[in-house]
Amino acid sequence: MIIETTNLPVTIAALIVSVFIIFYLTRLAQSRGASWAMPFLGIVALVFLLVFAVVSARVIERCVRNFGGNNFSLFLYVILIYELAVAIYSITKKEGRVFSWHLKYQILLVGSVIMMLPFYWMVSSSLKTFTEAIAMPPDWIPSKLVWQNFVEAWNAMSAITYGDPPRPLTMGRYFHVSIVTGVSATVATLITAALAAYAFAKMRFYGRGLFFYIVLATMMVPGQVLLIPNYILINRLGWYDTYLALIVPWCASVFVIFLMRQFFMTIPDDLWDAAQIDGSGRFRYLWTVVVPLSKPVFITSAIFTFLANWNSLLWPLIMTTSPQMRTLMVGLQTFNQEAGQDFHLLMAASSLAIVPVVIIFFFLQRYFIQGIARTGLKD
Amino acid sequence: LGLLRNINPQKRRVIRENFEAYAYIAPAAIIIFAFWVFPVFLSVVVSLRNWKMLDTFDTTSWVGLTNYVRAFNDDQFIKVLINTFNYVVWSVPATLIISLAVAMLLNSRIRMRPVFRTVYFLPYVTTWVAISIVWRYFYHPQFGLGNHVLLNYFHVGELKWLLEPRGVIEMLVAPLGIRISNPVLAGPSLSMFSVIMTSIWRDIGFFMIIFLAGLQNIDQAYYEAADIDGASAWQKFRHITFPLLSPVTFFLLIISMISAWKIFVPMFIMTPEGGPDNTTATVVYYLWEKGFRGTGLLGYAAAIAYILFVIILLLTVIQNVFLGKRVQYGD
Repeated sequence: MIIETTNLPVTIAALIVSVFIIFYLTRLAQSRGASWAMPFLGIVALVFLLVFAVVSARVIERCVRNFGGNNFSLFLYVILIYELAVAIYSITKKEGRVFSWHLKYQILLVGSVIMMLPFYWMVSSSLKTFTEAIAMPPDWIPSKLVWQNFVEAWNAMSAITYGDPPRPLTMGRYFHVSIVTGVSATVATLITAALAAYAFAKMRFYGRGLFFYIVLATMMVPGQVLLIPNYILINRLGWYDTYLALIVPWCASVFVIFLMRQFFMTIPDDLWDAAQIDGSGRFRYLWTVVVPLSKPVFITSAIFTFLANWNSLLWPLIMTTSPQMRTLMVGLQTFNQEAGQDFHLLMAASSLAIVPVVIIFFFLQRYFIQGIARTGLKD
Repeated sequence: LGLLRNINPQKRRVIRENFEAYAYIAPAAIIIFAFWVFPVFLSVVVSLRNWKMLDTFDTTSWVGLTNYVRAFNDDQFIKVLINTFNYVVWSVPATLIISLAVAMLLNSRIRMRPVFRTVYFLPYVTTWVAISIVWRYFYHPQFGLGNHVLLNYFHVGELKWLLEPRGVIEMLVAPLGIRISNPVLAGPSLSMFSVIMTSIWRDIGFFMIIFLAGLQNIDQAYYEAADIDGASAWQKFRHITFPLLSPVTFFLLIISMISAWKIFVPMFIMTPEGGPDNTTATVVYYLWEKGFRGTGLLGYAAAIAYILFVIILLLTVIQNVFLGKRVQYGD
């Protein structure tokens, strides 16, 4: 029998498709003024509802039998009934907009669930015991919150020691390296870029066009191409496996120079004339007038520079080798290799690595989104 | 400075401004020259020599184009190029289409738009390394959610996900008795396809934000006129939204292809050692493997990097030729 062989998603799909067909036929009949078709459509809808009632009983049975204590299918089922109610409402009241309005929200909601599910899974798994984390079928809600996982993930590498006197290597060290690198590179980039961008935007000097052309051309060079020569260069300079290798090459950014120049160009020259009358030099004018006026572009640049540093994997992977010089991303990657199937610990470590970024995002969301919308900067 | 006093004030000011300007650009210029401009040329030199891990210039010798010739005779490199090509052509259009749909939904009259926008954007903010670990868990054949959903909600068989070297199209047509051996026609391996799904999931937010900005720039008057003419939703999309959005779409297409050619991190985290049968090894992965593991063939790796550079440069040129100045940076 067909009902025996169908499964839940197929049933849902079939029901939704039939709702659509009925809905569409109703609209069609309505727009053609074919009122004679309405009773037939009513009969179709009735038959359809009967079939639905039979199928749904089977589906409920299957749900309970197959999934035991799992409420997910029941949840899906409730959504389905709601959906049908909306469809039937909009058909009987001949209100097509109600249906499309609901559909819009439903698509967005389903999308949101897909977008958020991995995050939920990450956090919930990070709070499970090992056996629960690898249990099949999975438990959507951890039975007991194991905060100890975070401590274990934090200390997972503590067999390795570094420094004098020797200290165990923890995630704290990774955070330390990442934050030192990220903050110093960001601050340095903002300073060098502001100076250069100001010169390009507001000063006249020989070779300005040529230099700016070089800046533009450099933007086209993918960073991956420069890994090998830079590796040789860093070794030659004796910076291999030091903070210098992680920070100095990232103390200037052509992209940030470009971004700031575009912004500085919009600042009227009258301000500079006024500042000159007040006896201010260029340098003072730059830091006391131009920089405060350009706060948004500074925040956007700071976010992008910091995140690029925080998220970079290949550069620190190549330029450092000792465990105590691992950035958070390199540390996480190493842990991923060594932890194997300790997914609860891996999820705890991943959650810890994501937290700072998410916090920054929630506080500075406006600048994030404006920055991306304006610049189209991709990875 | 005593010298300057003899020159007339006008000229003096010009010279002074020149010096000042050079001082301003110096810090950035030195770093950019040392670590961005100079390496481009050093890279050429390295790629033309038999440079290995611990070599200096003196311990290497000129080998001409040997490294480039070697690359094109290297089956592994060709495979890696095809893998990356598959990744680009499968991930970019799908991401564009899905994110355009989401952007259009969000652009219509809708409540809680900021909430939805945040939700869709969040994956893009989080770091590749961490989310790759999460998705590796998701795709685990035994303990992952992926197989659980397939088995229990769709009642189809298990998949090996990240461990499956067969191409997705190859797998789809296999039950029909058709065999595909061409690596491009067979599609990305299921392993690569899993990474592609993750990268679509992550990038939707980025594309959506730019599409939203583009959609908001379209004058509402067009739609009002279309409404008066009784245009359907599809006609409005086909004749108003899509043409007016095409510069944005084209821009996104190019920059996402560029960044897709450079993909490395998710494969590196999710499928160690290049994945099953090397099917998730990308160009950058291969360059890392050749350059920084084992003997460390830096000369060969530099040649690979240059080939990648040429591909990306072509895309950039296409962008500039077709788009000209239509894409606005900054304000």
